[in-house]
Amino acid sequence: MVDVLEIEGLTAGYGPLRVLHDISFRVGMGERVGLVGLNGHGKTTLFRAISALVGWQSGSIRLLGREIGGTRSSGPGRRTPGIVRAGMAMAPQGDAIFPGLSVAQHLDCGAYTPTAWRERRRRREMVFDIFPPLRKLEHALVGRLSGGERRMVSVGRALMVDARLYLIDEPSLGLAPKISASVIEALFSLPQDGRAIVIAEQNVALLSGRVDRMVGMHAGRLRGDVGHVSLH
Amino acid sequence: MDIPVTLAHGLSLAAIYGLMAIGISLMWSSIGMINMAHGASFAVAGYAAWAVSEAAKPVFLAAFGKGIAGTAAMAGLTLSTGAAAGAAMGALIYLLAFLPIHDKPNFPVRSLIVTLALNLATVQVLLWWFGPRQKNLPKIFGTGKVEVFGISARYDQIGTILSTFAILGLVLLWLRVSRKGLEIRAMMQNPEGAVLSGISVRWTALPVTMLTGALAGLAAILLSQTIFVSPTSGAMPLIKGLTIALLGGLGSVPGAVLGAVIIGFLEAVIGAIPFLGQRYVLFGTFLFIIVVLIIRPRGLGGLLDEARK
Repeated sequence: MVDVLEIEGLTAGYGPLRVLHDISFRVGMGERVGLVGLNGHGKTTLFRAISALVGWQSGSIRLLGREIGGTRSSGPGRRTPGIVRAGMAMAPQGDAIFPGLSVAQHLDCGAYTPTAWRERRRRREMVFDIFPPLRKLEHALVGRLSGGERRMVSVGRALMVDARLYLIDEPSLGLAPKISASVIEALFSLPQDGRAIVIAEQNVALLSGRVDRMVGMHAGRLRGDVGHVSLH
Repeated sequence: MDIPVTLAHGLSLAAIYGLMAIGISLMWSSIGMINMAHGASFAVAGYAAWAVSEAAKPVFLAAFGKGIAGTAAMAGLTLSTGAAAGAAMGALIYLLAFLPIHDKPNFPVRSLIVTLALNLATVQVLLWWFGPRQKNLPKIFGTGKVEVFGISARYDQIGTILSTFAILGLVLLWLRVSRKGLEIRAMMQNPEGAVLSGISVRWTALPVTMLTGALAGLAAILLSQTIFVSPTSGAMPLIKGLTIALLGGLGSVPGAVLGAVIIGFLEAVIGAIPFLGQRYVLFGTFLFIIVVLIIRPRGLGGLLDEARK
């Protein structure tokens, strides 16, 4: 069976700065992986390299067997829509919020495939079921929501299409412990049917016991599996 | 000073400047490009409308006679030719000044230079092809005056104001309700979030350039009811549009509308004050813009926005 994500020899950075050093990493079908490590050690850069948003990168990245990496030194973001359409959904750090759109419009932005666009109402309902506080905010401007609500919108936007690989960057960052726990809870309550999730997180306690395995990241290198933590 | 006449004049100027400024503002906020070739789109649309209307004149005269039907048919033809030529210019700008360099470093400055070059080259091509003589577009709103609310206004002023309202209303409605409009607004608010939502910048930029080009084309037809079409006729609307877009806070559509209304009335008032007159119009408006930008460097836009990041 082909892996959802296969990374080999990935090196990436910004300008003269090299952030990732020769990273190899695999995520299987339906797997839930926690990517842990301190601030500034490259978790976000790894996600951004997978979505072709870093300044430059080299090395092989295969999404469902299709090469999306390669060597690139300019045009960050140019290939991103194609990668997203190939089956990757990312909820970035800082939430990539459209402040002047309503919650409903914001979610619609995520429904980019023709099928998802046609049934966007049903999919919005699905997101509201996962994040109930959003339902009564449907027509509120995203720029006026609280941090926790924005995070829900950002993750919800990534859930509007059926991606195969979800990259969720720091779901607990800047949130009150109770709210971050509910966001994580909602993420793990999703039906697993073949979709793989990688969650970057500093707060290991939030993930332990819930992910299939954890991978540590230190100074731009992966530090092997931190330990196999079973789901049940 | 005749206040009603000044009012009508100011509003019609505001309408045309608004069309130009919104085009520039929209393009800057969605694809990050200051389009110095906006004036070229303006001039090309004027010439295209002139050429087509000259060719169609005998045909229409034979078909409709000199009555209102002929004028209406000519108006439709002129406006649609202007919009189409402007949109075609927009597509050309997309191909030459956006597509090859949009993902290179320092795109805003590079595209500024490329579009400026495109503007100069287009003016020279028009000069070489059509010659320096000014052309006269058909009067699409007819000639004459009418009293509205006790204000005596020329047909072309009323036509300009009404059609601008209609055009801008349609554009803003399209941005609100259509899927492409949603993608454009998403791109205006957060380009990185947009690409992560699968919105391709390359395929969203084409409708933006064509739409803003069409707006410039319509502005050209409307302004050519009072001035002539010439190779350099796009320069003044470009400068006015750009400064009004800056005054409104680059990227803010409501700001651009407000700026256009203020500058339109300011010009009309300065031109009508006896001891100032037309000579001081440019001086006065630029002085005003400079003062506003000194006090509020971000322009008027931030005052109107509903939500900030």
